[in-house]
Amino acid sequence: MQITLQNFTKTFDDVTVIEDMNLTVKDGEMLALLGPSGCGKSTTLFAICGIHRVNGGKILFGDRDVSDLPSQKRNVGVVFQSYALYPHMNAYENIAFPLKVRKDKPADIKRQVHEIAKLTHIEELLERKPGQLSGGQQQRVALARALVRKPDILLLDEPLANLDAKLRLEMRAEIRRIQLETGITAILVTHDQVEAMSMCDRIALMHDGKIVQLDKPSEMYNNPANKFVADFLGNPPITFLDAKHQGDLLVLPNGHEIKNPKLAASIQSLQVGIRPECFGPQFGTGIKGVVKFIEKQGREELFDIELTDGSQLRSIQPSGADLSIGDDVDWGLSLDDLLLFDLQGERL
Amino acid sequence: MKNFNWLALGFLAPALIVITVFFLAPVILTGIFSFTSMSTSTGVTGGEYLLNQSGLRALADKGLNQVTLDQLNNAGYVVDEQGLAALAEKHGTATADEMRKLHDNGQFSARRDMERALKDLKANKIRSTKDRKAAAELFKHSLLNERFEAEANFRVALVEGDIPIEDHEIIVTQAYTGWVWTVDNVKLLFSLPSTLRYAGNTLIYVTLTLIFNIGFGLFLAITTFYLPAKSASTFRAIWFLPRILPPVMYVLLWKWLTWDTGFIATTLSWVGVAPKNWMLDTSTHAWVVVVLINGSFGASLGMILFSSAIKAIPSSILYSSEVDGANRWQQVRYIILPHLRWPILFVTSYQTLSLLTSFEHILLSTEGGPGRATEVWSLAAYHIALDNYGGNLQYGLGATFAVALVIIGIIASLFYLRFFNFNEMVAKPKIEG
Repeated sequence: MQITLQNFTKTFDDVTVIEDMNLTVKDGEMLALLGPSGCGKSTTLFAICGIHRVNGGKILFGDRDVSDLPSQKRNVGVVFQSYALYPHMNAYENIAFPLKVRKDKPADIKRQVHEIAKLTHIEELLERKPGQLSGGQQQRVALARALVRKPDILLLDEPLANLDAKLRLEMRAEIRRIQLETGITAILVTHDQVEAMSMCDRIALMHDGKIVQLDKPSEMYNNPANKFVADFLGNPPITFLDAKHQGDLLVLPNGHEIKNPKLAASIQSLQVGIRPECFGPQFGTGIKGVVKFIEKQGREELFDIELTDGSQLRSIQPSGADLSIGDDVDWGLSLDDLLLFDLQGERL
Repeated sequence: MKNFNWLALGFLAPALIVITVFFLAPVILTGIFSFTSMSTSTGVTGGEYLLNQSGLRALADKGLNQVTLDQLNNAGYVVDEQGLAALAEKHGTATADEMRKLHDNGQFSARRDMERALKDLKANKIRSTKDRKAAAELFKHSLLNERFEAEANFRVALVEGDIPIEDHEIIVTQAYTGWVWTVDNVKLLFSLPSTLRYAGNTLIYVTLTLIFNIGFGLFLAITTFYLPAKSASTFRAIWFLPRILPPVMYVLLWKWLTWDTGFIATTLSWVGVAPKNWMLDTSTHAWVVVVLINGSFGASLGMILFSSAIKAIPSSILYSSEVDGANRWQQVRYIILPHLRWPILFVTSYQTLSLLTSFEHILLSTEGGPGRATEVWSLAAYHIALDNYGGNLQYGLGATFAVALVIIGIIASLFYLRFFNFNEMVAKPKIEG
């Protein structure tokens, strides 16, 4: 079902957290609300499921305006960060709860719970209490409970934040599989760009209560709308250098010159964003510097290079570069992948 | 004792003294008193030897033979030298001599006859009735109503009265007015019909008050949880008032409400209901008032504990139940109440024990009435031992009632410990994240 936010505004007392936000989630799509903490992404999610009241604008499920409906009447499934399983009920009772309060027939409840348990691979765990389940298992139960009454939309609030690294990887794939199998419209709230990029069809990147870019993950990475997006996405993060535009030359602070930058003549000063994978020996030479720090990550190595003028660049290379701290390097840039921003941070 | 820590003992000493003086000593003394016959009439120190009519009846009940009983009872009046000497002292030797002449060694079983003998003196008539009565007493030769300071004196008197030696022991025991060691209190406790009544009253009192306490506490906690924070705390504060008020004042307010000239009676008289005492009119009235007084007082404890327990439920669980479609009622029933299981069990066991022993509100309001309709066990113990209408305060029997209550309390605690698995209850937090 298509979910639409129209001029959605949310305030807490005197503080306006979100103002005039517009967002459309397409039917069957999985969309990530991505952003640093405090950007309003969880607030948006709580408003969609009805826990928070809307202070302005509309929320539409399909054509139905649900803005003033309590959460009980919205038919949403929510997976909370803490899973919020009912500790006094076993897994079966937890999953059956939405059906029980809807007063479904016991036989129907049993059939539906077993169906959803099969989908989420927890058929053997139904007798256990939440306290007897591992984090990943609790996650599956929470997911089953959210899905069991076939909600119009599935809302996931930082669902992987409480899992260890390996489980996180596994559950990432699992949640996506289940979402695709059920074809449900889903919104994932996360501050983890990898989660958002790997699981979702589209990402809405939020900053200070506003959506700064709504795009496909690859598009958002390769083509960020502004400096904030470029900075937020990518791990290890991008580095920025101040540059001057002189004639048809782009001059980096260390004096390196790049020809023909295709910039309007009026622009004098700007910033160049250089991702770590766009700087290295495979791109020729011309940028001289000293290795200040090496972080070995197994398959790859991360270098912090201090340029002759004191500014820093980051580079990621396959392991085995045989360099140590203090060595001099002379590397090049992948000119096609440079990201240019004006001094206000907008993309040029 | 190498590691014995004198400093620790020093710090503990005040607490130990307080516990010993104010807790251990009363408990032990109560236990001891419960096996004595102490009362106002026996005193708490020693006693004397005194045989009276009720003592005689008791001896008859104990199977003392009739001959001995008659001997004790009818010893009557004997004109002997001892009496004559006393008479001479009071009314002159002439009177005594005439008396000796007429009635030497004469015996009279009734005082009337003795007085007539004195009246019939020719030369030295004793005219005043009052004087005659006093004079008659001088010849009295009976053990009845005569006080003996020491046991030996009493035994001598028995021998002098020709009481068969084999009956002495039982008579001496009966005549002793001081307290003695006895298990009669326990026997009495089990044989008195009123014991059953007190037990029944206590059961009604504890059960109804508990239900009111817990139910009302839960109601307040849950309703205030859904109220906006500010009005909720105002509301809670109002229900906390009974606990902060001095009990006397609190109960006085209830009396003012229920007296036959009180608020209820006055208000209802406007619509034609005859004024009556709404507290003591019938036993049902009394019970309703007693339960309301104690319940309103106790509900605040449950309310506070339940409120904080509800607040401790993670908000995500409550949100989750809402998005799962549960309405308020379903949320209370399926989510909040199961989370309150442990606080409810705790308040139940705690309140049971405190209700068993508390009687101050009943004492101040109905005082156990009307009749003994609301006389609960602890109040009965108080009445028997310390505030008896008849005036004979039976310390021993009262102590036995108190000890029985302690035993009931211990049994109830053990029951709660086992049944509710108290150890597990206090072992770890029951509200999980």
